[in-house]
Amino acid sequence: MWRFALKACGRWALALLGALLIAVGVSALASAKGGYGAALIHTLVSFARLDFGTSALSGQSAAQELAAHLPVTAHLMLFGALVALILGVPLGLVFGSSTIRRVAAPLIQIVSAAPVFCAGLGLAYAARRLGFEENPSLLDGLLLPSVAVGLAGTAAVQMVLRRAASQAQDGPFRIGLRRLGLSAMEIESVYVAPQVFAGLLDALGEVMLALLSAAVVAEWVFKSPGIADLFVKSIALHDWNMAALILFVFAGLTATADFIGRIGARFLVRAAS
Amino acid sequence: MSTWRRILMAVGWSGLGLIVIAATLSEFLARNALGALHAGAPLSPPSEAFPFGTDLLGRDLFSETLYGLSTTVAQAGEAAVLAVLAGGLLGFVTAHLPRPSAASLRWAVGAFAAIPPLLLAILVIAATTRGMVGLAAGLAAAPLAFVRAFDRARRGNFSAHSAYARATGISASALLNRDLAYEFRDTFLPTVARALAAVAIILSTMSFLGFGAIPPHRDLGLMIAAAQRSYFQAWWTAAFPALALMAFILLARLAAGLDEGERP
Amino acid sequence: MSEARTIFEIKDLGVSHGETRELDAFSLTLRAGETVILLGEADSGKDAVLRLLGGFLDRADELTGTIRFGDGEARPASRKTKPMARTAYLPGPAQHPLDAQAGAASQLARVIARKLDCPRGAAREELRGALARFVGAPTLETLDAPAGGLDNATLAWGLLGCASAMTPELVLCDHPFADISPVWADRLTKALKDEQARLGFAILYAAREPQPVARLMGRTIVMRRGRVVEEGEAQHLIGGQTHLYTQSLFKALPDNAQRSPRKAARGEPLLQVQGLSLIGDPKKAPRARDAIGFELRRGASLGLLGEAGSGRHRLLAALLGLERRPGRILFDAVDLNMLSEAMALRLRRRVAFVTSKEGALDPRMTLWDTVDEPLRAHLRIGRDLTQGYREAALKRVGLASHDGRRAVASLTPFDQRRLQVARAIVAAPLLVVVDEPLRGLDAIAQTTMRDLLAEFRVESQAAFLVITSDFAVAETLCDEAMVFDRGRMVERGPIAALAKSPKESATKALVEAALILSLSKAEGGARTPP
Repeated sequence: MWRFALKACGRWALALLGALLIAVGVSALASAKGGYGAALIHTLVSFARLDFGTSALSGQSAAQELAAHLPVTAHLMLFGALVALILGVPLGLVFGSSTIRRVAAPLIQIVSAAPVFCAGLGLAYAARRLGFEENPSLLDGLLLPSVAVGLAGTAAVQMVLRRAASQAQDGPFRIGLRRLGLSAMEIESVYVAPQVFAGLLDALGEVMLALLSAAVVAEWVFKSPGIADLFVKSIALHDWNMAALILFVFAGLTATADFIGRIGARFLVRAAS
Repeated sequence: MSTWRRILMAVGWSGLGLIVIAATLSEFLARNALGALHAGAPLSPPSEAFPFGTDLLGRDLFSETLYGLSTTVAQAGEAAVLAVLAGGLLGFVTAHLPRPSAASLRWAVGAFAAIPPLLLAILVIAATTRGMVGLAAGLAAAPLAFVRAFDRARRGNFSAHSAYARATGISASALLNRDLAYEFRDTFLPTVARALAAVAIILSTMSFLGFGAIPPHRDLGLMIAAAQRSYFQAWWTAAFPALALMAFILLARLAAGLDEGERP
Repeated sequence: MSEARTIFEIKDLGVSHGETRELDAFSLTLRAGETVILLGEADSGKDAVLRLLGGFLDRADELTGTIRFGDGEARPASRKTKPMARTAYLPGPAQHPLDAQAGAASQLARVIARKLDCPRGAAREELRGALARFVGAPTLETLDAPAGGLDNATLAWGLLGCASAMTPELVLCDHPFADISPVWADRLTKALKDEQARLGFAILYAAREPQPVARLMGRTIVMRRGRVVEEGEAQHLIGGQTHLYTQSLFKALPDNAQRSPRKAARGEPLLQVQGLSLIGDPKKAPRARDAIGFELRRGASLGLLGEAGSGRHRLLAALLGLERRPGRILFDAVDLNMLSEAMALRLRRRVAFVTSKEGALDPRMTLWDTVDEPLRAHLRIGRDLTQGYREAALKRVGLASHDGRRAVASLTPFDQRRLQVARAIVAAPLLVVVDEPLRGLDAIAQTTMRDLLAEFRVESQAAFLVITSDFAVAETLCDEAMVFDRGRMVERGPIAALAKSPKESATKALVEAALILSLSKAEGGARTPP
């Protein structure tokens, strides 16, 4: 376990380093007029001093700007992750069971074929129709964007669970242990379930990617002033320092989710065995 | 492969075929020229004259949806092939390189794979030119395809059959040939279909955010973005382009054999 | 003397699974302490009988006939009632009955606890006690490791301990020792018989090869496609079979008359090994008593005998340049230790493998591509030219009628094994490595495979390196053999001499395990056990 953890730490550190280098590469675009190579070295040195430059949009330090917008996105992601777990886990487990997987798969596709922005507009439309326009703070607030992010997360979580369930269900040990005398419930709960949830943890990076992509769109559709919205604006106005820092945060979050997921999956399987 | 899956794939490919035909013949099928203003009264609901209704500027939404679909399909096709070649193919090739080169490339591309493809595509567009939407979407989807292909080939490299192959003098290039023949060539069409669904989402979202199609050329994402001002009063302005987009994504996923990474 | 208690009585049992008729008019009565062996290939109907008696029938199973447990009333089998006898199921480790990621001991203790309705701690102690009774069994702590990391013999001991700890009336043995070396299969069978004598349970043993019949010596029912073709006591059946099918099954037993080892050919030396050590630090010079030296000439066949972990595969890895070890290895007059990895890879082009290891062939490849690959990859021969070689090779191994576009994954283990031989034939190798070639095969497949390899050996100019724990296989395929034990080569010599007068205990165990089978066939035997 320790060897695995050390290896995972190494991978995580390398992933963060990669994310940092990409951010340096993007940030260097801001001062590339004197040559990109020189700008790259200059930015690298600045980053090493934890100086992430200033935002061309606000004139503030990029780090301060990020800190100001981060709470909105953090709230959105946390609530979205919660919705994703509450809805995605039961859906994934139900649709992952061998009896209805065949029928469920195309039906799920119909629902999950909707891009997040379509789902977001649909939610906004439904909210208006259901009379929520009388309470405009609801539309301008974080509830709807969080639900939109949560639905995208749900799609990712149920898909990962279905994949893990389909792999775990192929294990010959389910027949073997049944014949040896264990009940189906005991086999599913003691041996299959940890493998399925380990599969979910193992793909935590994948789920995080889905949540981040959804956050970008949801913040734009619902005009929530988070860092994803800030990223789109920064890119549109070529505010490379700001965009670089946000990219680093996003890539770092994915790498960290991947790292925690891998360690958690390993720990879960070990603990169950 | 199960009969059920084959049926779904056949439905997916047939549907995609019809969409491609409709997109190709959009000039003939459309009742009005691209962007023709005041074809009817603004925000007319669906009727016999305008099956999908009209938008805020009185444009025939049926014709506009056909034009938008043709733009989305063309760009998605270009981007999907690029993602599969620049991602999948390179992933397989890299996995068979000597260990230090393979590990370095995996790390470098893996760092890009940690960024949501949508953001990557926007970044590529902003750093290059707005005209290269398909290229941007393809390049953005490529890192994930690369990482998947690489990890798959690497797992194969550590399998018993690869060990036995090496013990009988089968070289890395011959093992790569196996991957190309059985993982890449034989699964090329489903992989392209899967990529088609993924890049269609990226492309339309880019346009929705204002980084994609440039007017007067409109794709489905841009049409839906434009409908934001009117769809509370006239649902059809957003609904039909959105349905066309969802149908395209759904059919592409069916053509991929419902493979979202799930085992058959 | 009163007759033993009846455990169950099956009359006119018929089992259909969907469209397939699995079993027809099957009747069997089993009494306490009795052993019955069901012998047949995969589709013979043995599994249907086990499913009925174990209580794990499928929803799609349709049954006719009656079944009676103990002194109870006969009931229609179609009711699918739970078996009333206290039954223990004993599967083979190759069926992967345990979760590979979880500890084997904890899973077995859970099974015992469930069956005996006792706390898991007590069940664990029951398992410990059962293992302690068996000679040569691993400790319970060894079984605490994840099941996927344990070898087949260790797992088989655990499963046997689990069955025994349940103090059953009936043990359903589902090919329990089929993929285990003869020495360990003998020990496990002996332990099973000892437990039967102690607890008085009945054994219903499903086997696909005749070796368990010779080891267990019980009443044997030969089955084919759901019907009984012959029945009788083991010693009578081994001595002479009436039905042609039974004869073909019993051909798999080693036979003294079949042994005609070819004399060591006097071709050029292919492998020359000096001062090679398999134990200790690979970077240090070996101690003299650990050093191995031998020569293998073209056309000759050398057996590497021993149990799993004895050092045979380590030696092979060194011989092929896959693992660097101190000592000198000349392959076709080239010093392997002087070669770069790329050059060693080129040299290995003249090596072919026939092995029982799972996944030795790429499951994605088609049958044709698998045979063609050595020609295309090594000699750059086009598809049009490979066709002739491929067809000839496939014809020779009996796979010519198969669809060549089928994926390897869809082939049976026997067909995959034959495909390996076809691949070896087209590769025209200098060295053929044969690794446990008969393990895991049905009786008829074993006979066919043994004959195929013997023919290939005679016709080929290649040297053979036969890795096996089955002395009978070595006797069929080898001129000479080296016996390995715990990383050391303990004995070597001509195969006939080793069979006649083995000196080391490892060699004696191997010879004895094969001898039990051949003696049973020879009815008194030409040789006496050492």
